[in-house]
Amino acid sequence: MKRRITFIQRIDAGFDPQQVVLTSSSLSVRDLDAAREDRFTVELDQLPEQLRGALEHSSGLHLRWASERPYDALAPFASRVSPGLHVQYTPLKTDESPEALCTLLRAVVGPDKDAQFKDCTKPEESFIEPPLSTNSASSASLQYHTHLPSVKNLVKYIQNDVCAKESTECHTSANALLTADSIDIDYDSSSRALTVSGFWANPPKGDWTDQIMKPSSSADQIEFGLLGAEPGLEPEEIKMGGLLAVVGQDQKLKPTMFSFPSRHQHLIESSSYTVSFTPPTGLHPEMSITIPRSTLKQPPAPNDATCALHTYLTLPSTIFGDQYQLATTDPLFLESHNLAVLKAHAGEMDLEAPDWVVKNWGSSWLLELATPPTQEQDQTPVPSNWTATIPLHLRYLPPSESGYRTAHVPWPIVFWACTTEDEEGMGPNPFERTHLGWDGLFGPRTTFYQLSPAGERLVEDVDVPVLQLSGEGMFQGKFIELGTCVVISLGFLWVLLKLVRVAWSSGVGANGKSGRVGAHDKKD
Amino acid sequence: MGLFNSAPRVFLAATALRLVLLVYGGWQDAHSAVKYTDIDYMVFTDAARYVSNGESPYMRDTYRYTPLLAWMLVPTAWEAPAPWSTLTFAFGKALFALSDILAGWLVVQLLTRCYRFPTERALRYVAAVWLWNPMVANISTRGSSEGLLGVLVAALLWATLTKKPILAGLILGLAVHFKIYPFIYGVSILWWWDAERDGSSSIEAGLLSKALRFVTPSRVKFVVAALASFVALNTVMYLQYGQPFLQHTFLHHLTRIDHRHNFSPYSTLLYLSAAGGAETRFEALAFIPQIALVVLALPLVLAKKNLTTTMLAQTFAFVTFNKVCTSQYFLWYLVLLPFYLPSSSLIGKPKMGISAAILWILGQALWLHQGYNLEFLGRPSFVPGLYLAGLFFFCVNVWILGIIVQDGSQSVEETELVQKSKSP
Repeated sequence: MKRRITFIQRIDAGFDPQQVVLTSSSLSVRDLDAAREDRFTVELDQLPEQLRGALEHSSGLHLRWASERPYDALAPFASRVSPGLHVQYTPLKTDESPEALCTLLRAVVGPDKDAQFKDCTKPEESFIEPPLSTNSASSASLQYHTHLPSVKNLVKYIQNDVCAKESTECHTSANALLTADSIDIDYDSSSRALTVSGFWANPPKGDWTDQIMKPSSSADQIEFGLLGAEPGLEPEEIKMGGLLAVVGQDQKLKPTMFSFPSRHQHLIESSSYTVSFTPPTGLHPEMSITIPRSTLKQPPAPNDATCALHTYLTLPSTIFGDQYQLATTDPLFLESHNLAVLKAHAGEMDLEAPDWVVKNWGSSWLLELATPPTQEQDQTPVPSNWTATIPLHLRYLPPSESGYRTAHVPWPIVFWACTTEDEEGMGPNPFERTHLGWDGLFGPRTTFYQLSPAGERLVEDVDVPVLQLSGEGMFQGKFIELGTCVVISLGFLWVLLKLVRVAWSSGVGANGKSGRVGAHDKKD
Repeated sequence: MGLFNSAPRVFLAATALRLVLLVYGGWQDAHSAVKYTDIDYMVFTDAARYVSNGESPYMRDTYRYTPLLAWMLVPTAWEAPAPWSTLTFAFGKALFALSDILAGWLVVQLLTRCYRFPTERALRYVAAVWLWNPMVANISTRGSSEGLLGVLVAALLWATLTKKPILAGLILGLAVHFKIYPFIYGVSILWWWDAERDGSSSIEAGLLSKALRFVTPSRVKFVVAALASFVALNTVMYLQYGQPFLQHTFLHHLTRIDHRHNFSPYSTLLYLSAAGGAETRFEALAFIPQIALVVLALPLVLAKKNLTTTMLAQTFAFVTFNKVCTSQYFLWYLVLLPFYLPSSSLIGKPKMGISAAILWILGQALWLHQGYNLEFLGRPSFVPGLYLAGLFFFCVNVWILGIIVQDGSQSVEETELVQKSKSP
């Protein structure tokens, strides 16, 4: 097993050499204020049987989880996904995929009491096929997402089914994931290794104080780094400097300085956004993405790059966009919503089906947003915020006692994407992050600049009105059945009665035969 | 008084109304993000675009119509520079509006020639109910295809009353292919078209001879023509577009799963049972009262007395007892009203007529209010709101249906045209 611990200090953070002490058997950090990534790499044959079986069937499996709490995504960990659990999966053989992945999903998501997820026995049932990607290195053939506020069941799964019983380190590390802001789990059939990474934008207890023991087995390795990041010479580069060590091998911390290209860049003049649904939401809620106008500036991308503001929506099956409405080229519609163009969409597109017949987990949408015109007329005061709106629709949900159910809608991510024509990919990046769902929709030579979501919770709970049913009282299912049955039967009998009376008094033929004969008389 | 004594004036006004709405619709579409054009029209024109590219119209989601419709609208897919593209886009709407006018003209012809209405009286009713009805003009100029059904039904009546069994059959087959519901008219026309209607006067007793007398040349021609055109159209469409054609035009109506709220009294029950909350499956029997009335009881009792009133009652019953009901369905019986209203007790007894109108509008208003609460305010108004409003509206409709049935007992003669066409 390999472990890599990276602390990223912000440029303005102070550092005292006494805060990191390396000895021959351990490394201690004390009162450190930094972001942290903890990455474990486990060979396939070190994994328990059941999990190994699931992985051996896949060509690639990539889980991305992001917390509902907002966090600072600083370079080189600048990329984002919407809150919840994202699964990017490519089966080894397209015709057969194992049930193990669905079992895993149920274990990780299912036990949650307000879990709202599309179950499956085989991934194809509830996973969706993402749109054709322009960057195959970064996308999978099947995609899944679910609302998942807490990873406690994932941690439980790792502790019970993955950790060796005697390994307290494994249990502690798994437990630490409970406070992580984002978690990545990656398996690739070419590397035959599973990596689990946790990311903490800030120390959960105020600062990091930790002792890391040298690994007990010589096959294991622990790398440590305390680094700072700043923009590189080229716009797409990140420069990093700091201290590195291999715990138990190195005698002292080694100073280092290196730079590398990165697709995910930190927006230097930071810009934030908020997401809301204007009440009343009704059955056709409209999502608003609001950005302070003053911060809407093109990022410092390479000269030959074209930059555009994008949003990527991950919508559960309970709420959906109308692909025909959103794909319109009508400038009036687009202008009124501050949208530019619908670039890609995938997943459940049915406009009518109620949620209980929908098998897919939902849909994803990549939209380019309009940006304010650069030269605004000074005479007219412009509002301080720029708001893009996306019209959405709710599905029918099953009846409930309160008359409402909740659609958990994760905030979309909002980012600038700057693309150059260059077809060649970028050089290696030790902190590369792929398979985010949206990154594969752009060319290999694209740099992304995330806007920061500014809110207390990055999930909107939309109230969906449903049929109100209760065990007793007037809102009972049987009253609806009985009432409908009685009223329709009575209505039917009423009309029948009228018909019988007509038939009784004048038969079923034409009455007034004299009139008929008269007509014939005239004819003859 | 003078307003209705000139047919050209009435039809010009009706055409002008539609032209104004077409131009206004084009203007609103070009200047507002809220479109005048109906969302269904976008479905039709998208489908027409697929068709003009040699593809299947069913590649457009929610296209649930015969390919004929997409074919007819192919001109809307023609590429043209700016001012002309508005015109090509409006082609279908103009076609629907023209169908309205044609339907109105046919109804006027039938009223004056078969029912011996003075022209002015015929024009007055047709203008009030159909030609000048803003709702009718609005629906067709927004691009809803229901106007086509109006002209098909009017043409079916015209062919029937002028005793052209083959033509009537062909039109019926086409109409049923277009939208399933006109099959109900086949039953009443068939029952109505007895030997006496064809001019044979001898009345024989005896069960066997009665049964034999049921099979008349007109009836045989009518049935064969109807089946021929229906089967031929479906065969052509099936050969061209295969399973998707069957699925979307016909089977969809049997397997539909979208029980979104609508005027039908079954609406809440269907939601409940589709979500798995119903103990019985009463809704599976919903077709029994509907079919029993529409294809058996109503034609049998009324058709020989008064064909047009029977057809109106059938349509009214079909819509009232249907599992799905939206406002476009109301257009289906509107085209038949000018035949019924003049001699109806709704006009004869103004109190009753006004009560019926008020109750019907009240039923709509109550439902729409609950629908607004749900759709726009997000309140869970399914029960008791929408549920009771749906049942109340059903009761009002049943009451009105009872009145139409009672009125249908008066026989109406429609021989004028026959006499004219038969006397050399």
